[in-house]
Amino acid sequence: MSTPAEPKSRFSIVRSCITMWGIVRAILKNRFVLYVISVVCFLYVWDFIAVHRVFGSYMPRLVEVISKLGSMMAEPLATKTLLEHVWASLSRVLIGFLLAVVTGVALGLFMALNRHVNAFVRPVFDLLKPMPPIAWISLSILWFGIGETSKVFIIWVGAVVPCVINAYNGIRLIDPELYDVVRMLGGKPRDEAVEVVMPAAFPAIFAGIQISLSSAWACVVAAELVAARSGIGFIINLGMNLSEPSMIVGGMAIIALIAWVIALSVEWLERWLCPWKRELLNG
Amino acid sequence: MIVTGSKSHVYRNISVAGLLTFFVLWESIVDFGLVPKMLLAAPSQVVRLFFVKLTDPNPDGALLVVHTMVSLEEVVTGYLLALVVGIPLGLLMGWFTVAEGLARPLFEMIRPIPPPAWIPLAIFWFGIGLEGKVFIIWVSGIVPCVINSYVGVRMTNPTFVQMARTYGASEWQIFRRICIPSALPMVFGGLQIALAASWTALVAAELIAANEGLGFLITMGRRLMMPEMIVLGMLMVGLTGLIVGILVDAAERRLSKGLRR
Repeated sequence: MSTPAEPKSRFSIVRSCITMWGIVRAILKNRFVLYVISVVCFLYVWDFIAVHRVFGSYMPRLVEVISKLGSMMAEPLATKTLLEHVWASLSRVLIGFLLAVVTGVALGLFMALNRHVNAFVRPVFDLLKPMPPIAWISLSILWFGIGETSKVFIIWVGAVVPCVINAYNGIRLIDPELYDVVRMLGGKPRDEAVEVVMPAAFPAIFAGIQISLSSAWACVVAAELVAARSGIGFIINLGMNLSEPSMIVGGMAIIALIAWVIALSVEWLERWLCPWKRELLNG
Repeated sequence: MIVTGSKSHVYRNISVAGLLTFFVLWESIVDFGLVPKMLLAAPSQVVRLFFVKLTDPNPDGALLVVHTMVSLEEVVTGYLLALVVGIPLGLLMGWFTVAEGLARPLFEMIRPIPPPAWIPLAIFWFGIGLEGKVFIIWVSGIVPCVINSYVGVRMTNPTFVQMARTYGASEWQIFRRICIPSALPMVFGGLQIALAASWTALVAAELIAANEGLGFLITMGRRLMMPEMIVLGMLMVGLTGLIVGILVDAAERRLSKGLRR
């Protein structure tokens, strides 16, 4: 069937329009392209705001932030370089976090395994639970002074609650049928603990530990904002006192980066430590 | 597990005993001078201060009711703004690839930054007035809103979506008629989490610059070396948070009537 030339060319224009639209749609469907677009737009808008001083002079450019971080890396600030400040924060977080895991998981297990203990401790725990860790700063300074102990205490307060709750729920929510299976197969109480309680509760406990680690990292800034001579929170606070926004934003970027690294590595650790979690979730 | 009537009675008694022990221990530690009065206030002192603060604005400059109302105003403003922005954003991110692709990286950048870290920038950008505090509360309240709405849409039963497609529904129709209703329980769950996050951020927001509010009361207690004022402020934060939480829960129950399966 022969068609006249004119409609054909019009048709090809339409078709090329359709293919163009198809390409645009393909781009809009591709998540990674969109991510790149988003980040580029964000950086551009940031730079625009910084250069044109939309928020006054308190918005650093990205270049300034990076160069500030570089200079803090090389020259010590309050006798410590940037990496040493990061380490100061990290070590506080680790001490508070480990204490919280030991005490919190133990308390949670105790509450889950003994209903009398649970009934006794629960109301007090519920009373103290809703108080934000930052609200403890004042008391902790009164009790422990402005040294390391008070910072570790605040981190402990922030990290202990998820440990307790998840350890408790992890054990209480075990499917009772699993116990029955072990008993029916002639298992002793020890077998129940090893074959049921540990593997079934571990994912929940680990999830609590995960939450508590990120919450501990979030508390370190609060702890260091008040009185500190080192750490990331100190850098942010110093940036505020010196009116140096590049220091503040640099400190925030490092906090976000470390929080991200912590989350990723804990996720990896979980996959390595309890591979049966996926089976539990899928099954 | 079913607890029989007499057993639950026993557990309630134990709970009451637990609370009593806690308060008696606390009171006696202070009264017998095991810890200096400068470091810890007895519960009786806290209660006394509570009644004094109801009528006497000294020594921190405002009545307890004023402090509470100021804090409530800040939290409620920040919280509502977080809901208004966060829930639609999360819902859109859950269904439309474009929205997710564009918003996800920004969200992932902002999410890990703890609220206290925003304090300096909030002061520089919005000043030390209400706006700065509301901004800090907003930033910390928006994160759970977005996450829960996003997950809620993502968890939509694919069968419903396929059925709607079969009947020729457009993407927008599927989003509005199927994804949003099925995400609502998750969204309501997010309301509580966001509220808790907002209350936590309130104390951070009032740490730096304030002359009224519960967080300010706590800070003042430290400056004046009055531990009973610190404890009173903490208790009021916990109590008010609890009451607002119950209100939100009641609202949630009314709104989601018939949604629960």
